[in-house]
Amino acid sequence: MTALLVALLLVLLLPLFVGKWQVSLLGLAAQGLLMGWLACRWPHGAGDVSWLTIVDLLLVRGVVLPVVLWRVLRARAAMSGRDGLPPNLLTWAGAVMLLLAAFRAAEVLAPTPALLHLQVAVAISGLLLGFLVLATQGGVFAQVVGVVRIGNAVALLQLGSGHADWVLALAHLVLVGGTLVALRHALIVVREVPAATSAGRESPV
Amino acid sequence: MIPLALVWLPVLGALLLLLPKARARAERILATVGLAVAGLAVWSAVRGDDLLAWHGWLCADATARLFLAVIDPIFAGIALHSWHRVASDPELRPGMARHVALSLPFLAACNAVVLAAHLEVAWLALELSTLVAAPLVARTGTAVAQRASWQYLLFSLAGLGLVAAGFVCLDRGLVAGGHDPELLLQPLRHGLAAGATAWSAVGIGMILLGLCTKLGLAPMYTWLPTTYDEAPTSVAAMLGAVQFNAAFVLLLRVVEVGRPAHGELITVVLVTVGLLSMVVATASLVATRNLKRLLAYASVQHGGVLAIGVGVGGPAAYGVLLYAASNAFIKAILFLTAGQIHRHCQTKDTGAIRGLIQALPYSGLLLMLGTFALLGFPPFGSFFGELLILSALVETQRMAVFGGFCALLAVAFVATGRTVFPMIWGNAGPAERRPGQPIWGALPKLVFVGVLVALGVWMPATIDALLRQAAGGMR
Repeated sequence: MTALLVALLLVLLLPLFVGKWQVSLLGLAAQGLLMGWLACRWPHGAGDVSWLTIVDLLLVRGVVLPVVLWRVLRARAAMSGRDGLPPNLLTWAGAVMLLLAAFRAAEVLAPTPALLHLQVAVAISGLLLGFLVLATQGGVFAQVVGVVRIGNAVALLQLGSGHADWVLALAHLVLVGGTLVALRHALIVVREVPAATSAGRESPV
Repeated sequence: MIPLALVWLPVLGALLLLLPKARARAERILATVGLAVAGLAVWSAVRGDDLLAWHGWLCADATARLFLAVIDPIFAGIALHSWHRVASDPELRPGMARHVALSLPFLAACNAVVLAAHLEVAWLALELSTLVAAPLVARTGTAVAQRASWQYLLFSLAGLGLVAAGFVCLDRGLVAGGHDPELLLQPLRHGLAAGATAWSAVGIGMILLGLCTKLGLAPMYTWLPTTYDEAPTSVAAMLGAVQFNAAFVLLLRVVEVGRPAHGELITVVLVTVGLLSMVVATASLVATRNLKRLLAYASVQHGGVLAIGVGVGGPAAYGVLLYAASNAFIKAILFLTAGQIHRHCQTKDTGAIRGLIQALPYSGLLLMLGTFALLGFPPFGSFFGELLILSALVETQRMAVFGGFCALLAVAFVATGRTVFPMIWGNAGPAERRPGQPIWGALPKLVFVGVLVALGVWMPATIDALLRQAAGGMR
């Protein structure tokens, strides 16, 4: 379990240090698959993990979202490496500082047991790094990646939280549905919006 | 029964549109359902009992009844406005069925947010209202509208994602404190009051920041001006007056359950976010020359005022509720009027619009009254709401916040007046004059003005009692 969480942390960080969209996509897919694996191997007595969570993590976050995003990028005629976090010292310093803050927060929130401590630290890192991407990037692709990262972090935090009723399951589904709708919107924006400069005509009602 | 009806009636109305004959009369269905739901909401507010439904998961308590009596009549007014628009311009009819098919579930979801006695159910409904509102924002199909819709969806998802993370933290906090991880309001209130943990503090903080994003408050407010500017005017009014208040009720619920254990944290977060929002909104109000953006920045500023009021709590509670209710009507009046002005003048540039009181008498008058209410002039309810929040700041010895609040309000006052008043009273060119605006198109907005005045000078006893009861819950 610890190895999986460490791998997940690396997968969260690596795309920020490379700055290529292909690596970002691979990173997202790897996050979903690793979290799915983690959910499958979740220890008994540390909170229930529903089948819905496993399907969401493995299938939706590990496969569907990266594939749809791949289509978004293919739809974009001239995709450059600029639509992601710039791989420079400033970005790296920011990412490392957020990582340290996340581990400090985990120390306060869950000092023991070690598994929970690491899980919380990685989840908070994912959340903060997602917001870093969202706050610093204006490109459609980077913003989708930011939102998916935030969704992944929430899903990781939920693992083993001891709360698995139908409302939570429904909330999970709606969050995934929302992300898919956002991706569909991204597809439209990328395909149909070359430049958002013209003023819109007045609407019907 | 009534809480369920408030959610199911709009859903049934939307399902009616599956019939081809009904699709041809979509605008009438929207107005009929809107009026029926508004009637039920007002009746439930006047009746005065707390109503439970769906095994206690929906609860029409004082806060819910108050806000339902605000947002449902506003929605009905917007529906009547849409009907008038379609009646006066039949070319708009083809897109109406889709508009109604999305608007009615939007209303159902917003009502569910207000009624939910379970935080996750409220969250779910808010997320659903966002998902159906996004295509409404993009309705004109222009590139800019698509991008605005995308931005709205993106920031909403990020904010609501943060709220979801906050719920998980609250759950863990409850478990750490030896309670069941239950987000029904009543057990949650007891669970949190029994003992604050680091988890619950982080949870409350995340939920507040996530909801502030959804409400369009700083630092994550940039989606709001773009969305309100590019959305059709009726949709902007729905977002600003209906969904904003639904999200605000969820914020009130969280503050209500979290204050006993984390009062100081709530005050610090909300007062900081509120002041920051007022600063950025005031700076933008000074700079903008776009009418709809001006209204959007005014919304950000009013969100800031509400956040400060909720943060202070206690003595500001009545003022906050009065201000929120008044503001909903002001936004509905101003956005619907701005749409009319844009259609007539073919521009949103405030520098190019002059003499509205002559060119469009009702729109000019409504813009004038709406702006007076927006700026907090008496006798409108917003004046008294603002006054009560200010006096609460003095009462709680927050003089620095009071000073900043007053200075920012004064700058916003000058900036808005300097921009809007020449639009109303300046000289209209001969080509811009168009006498003969029909009164029934302006009727919903005139009723809203009447409500605003009533909230200020003649508060019905039942509404006053409802406000006091809801304010009691906030304390």
